Amino acid sequence: MGSVLALSSGPGHQNWPFSTDPPPSRWDAHPAHWDSPPRWERRDGRLPNPGSFHSLHRSCKDVFPQQIEGVKMIINKTLSSFFKVSHTLHLSAVSPSYYRFHVEHLQSDDYSKDKDAPALIGEMDSSGSLNAHALLHLSERVRARTVFQTQQSQFVTWQFETEYRGNDFTAAVTVANPDVLRESVILVAHFLQSVSSGLVLGGELVYHRGRAEEGGILTLAGQYSRPNWVATLNAGKGGAHASYYHRANKQIQVGVEFEASTRTQETTTSFGYQMELPEANMVFRGMINSRCIIGGVLEKRLTPLPATLIMGAFVNHRGDKLQVGLGVNVG
Amino acid sequence: MGSVLAAASPSPAPAAVAAGGGQGVPGLVSVPPGFTMPSVSSVPPTSGSGQQTSDADSLLPNPGTYEECHRKCKEVFPLQMEGVRLVVNKGLSNHFQVSHTITLSTQGDSGYRFGATYVGSKQTGPTESFPVMVGDMDNTGSLNAQVIHQLTTAVRSKIAIQTQQHKFVNWQCDMEYRGEDFTSAVTLGNPDVLVGSGILVAHYLQSITPALALGGELVYHRRPGEEGTVTSLLGRYTGDNYVATLTLGGAGAHATYYHKANDQLQIGVEFEASTRIMTITTQDNWVVGATLEKKLVPLPLTLALGAFLNHRKNKFQCGFGVTIG
Repeated sequence: MGSVLALSSGPGHQNWPFSTDPPPSRWDAHPAHWDSPPRWERRDGRLPNPGSFHSLHRSCKDVFPQQIEGVKMIINKTLSSFFKVSHTLHLSAVSPSYYRFHVEHLQSDDYSKDKDAPALIGEMDSSGSLNAHALLHLSERVRARTVFQTQQSQFVTWQFETEYRGNDFTAAVTVANPDVLRESVILVAHFLQSVSSGLVLGGELVYHRGRAEEGGILTLAGQYSRPNWVATLNAGKGGAHASYYHRANKQIQVGVEFEASTRTQETTTSFGYQMELPEANMVFRGMINSRCIIGGVLEKRLTPLPATLIMGAFVNHRGDKLQVGLGVNVG
Repeated sequence: MGSVLAAASPSPAPAAVAAGGGQGVPGLVSVPPGFTMPSVSSVPPTSGSGQQTSDADSLLPNPGTYEECHRKCKEVFPLQMEGVRLVVNKGLSNHFQVSHTITLSTQGDSGYRFGATYVGSKQTGPTESFPVMVGDMDNTGSLNAQVIHQLTTAVRSKIAIQTQQHKFVNWQCDMEYRGEDFTSAVTLGNPDVLVGSGILVAHYLQSITPALALGGELVYHRRPGEEGTVTSLLGRYTGDNYVATLTLGGAGAHATYYHKANDQLQIGVEFEASTRIMTITTQDNWVVGATLEKKLVPLPLTLALGAFLNHRKNKFQCGFGVTIG
């Protein structure tokens, strides 16, 4: 995930999607358009660039339904080819209701992905929490990203990332929450190398330092892709994360995920699928996992109107809890 | 199917009140939560139907039943929806209909409910047939059952039983007589010979003019050690496209106004004041709610979405449901 703290954190992650913590913001991940590997595939048979480390598990995670709770109304408005605004109103039974304003400024329009342009993204909550991302191209191969996150008046995340995309490798360094006064910092280094046309190997080194302690965690990563499926594995001292994504046909995609953490001594296996019916303008995502959580989310485009209706429910059989959500996306 | 769905069945007697009592006798509540009744075509109060056609003798129409007076307005209000609900209705024949309901609830209990409706072959009107037997059973074993029968052209009788798992909570019997321009009904609720308790309710509703109906209700309740009565008066005025009803009595005041603006829009306003609580409180809990029901036309499906927000208590609930058949 983009926010480094999310890697090591997650008291709420165990109970997803029933955690009482605020759900991981969608902006913890890189925005999708920034992660799609650039079209640097060489016709002369040389290896393609493997993309960024955060998007290794992305294709499998996209199959799973997003947590949905309460009633949410999202109005998207494109003001010009590079300026987009969105208003979100959320009424919820378990967490406080909020209004959120989101704005994006891109240099080029989304449809030409040849150049991932500098982007400024900002999001402000009705409680005053701010989420800001700035993405800059320093040169054709070097990109920088800055993230600031506040929870009301307190800064929660401030991180700076630099990424270099070579011909067949990607290297990135992230400095997260550097605090001179408290003498604490988290440094993360990523490296991914295309070894063959389908195989990508790499690793991640996390070094964290506080006033009283310091430590490092090394994780190795490997991904093998074929036209119809992708298998990814991250393994290290902190745990393991394996995912398998399979596209069965034009309409059905399936994902299986396994996560194990040595810190919480727990493992979770999840199975999810996505069914698209373009004739009916409908997408359904369902999931079931080893924590006895079953969920499904249905998205339907209401065709004459530029609106999408979203209905979803998650049941936690073990804790006997149900979460129901409705949403309308306009624009 | 057509005739089963249209079977008329008056609702059970309205909530009786134990004005002076402490813990109320389990009220003779109208349709218990989740109890699926077939959609009924209630006898419209002003249509002038009833036993008489346009005779020169009877200028006044039968006013309908006492419980139905406030119903037109109440039907406009959305149901509180919560959690996920799936309803499958199946008509097995002209007389028999069955329904399965699965409810997953965020706050209450989730469960499965099975309901069956039987409509007999004694036809008393184009859309009414008797006897009507409606039964409903929960996965916990709670049962709701009603039998409604037209004994003679003017007398209709009903027996209703409700249990909470194995315990009987409600058992009542009522008899209704429809005259030319009046309706009277007697209901005996939860009679218990061994303990010596019970509730007796008498209703009377008379058409004064074609638009105005006046009536009254007398509730006598008895328990070992105490007994009491509560009386209420009811007045209903029906205009071209509106109905205004007022109930006044020992149990408080209840006024409803129903207005049909056009074919698509109906409006209802309700005011309720109850003397059961020490001070007279009105229903101003600042509750905002909405329900949307949409028939998904090619399929025999109805989708219902609903959300309720109680501003005062800051509580929010939403739900959706699918009805098949």
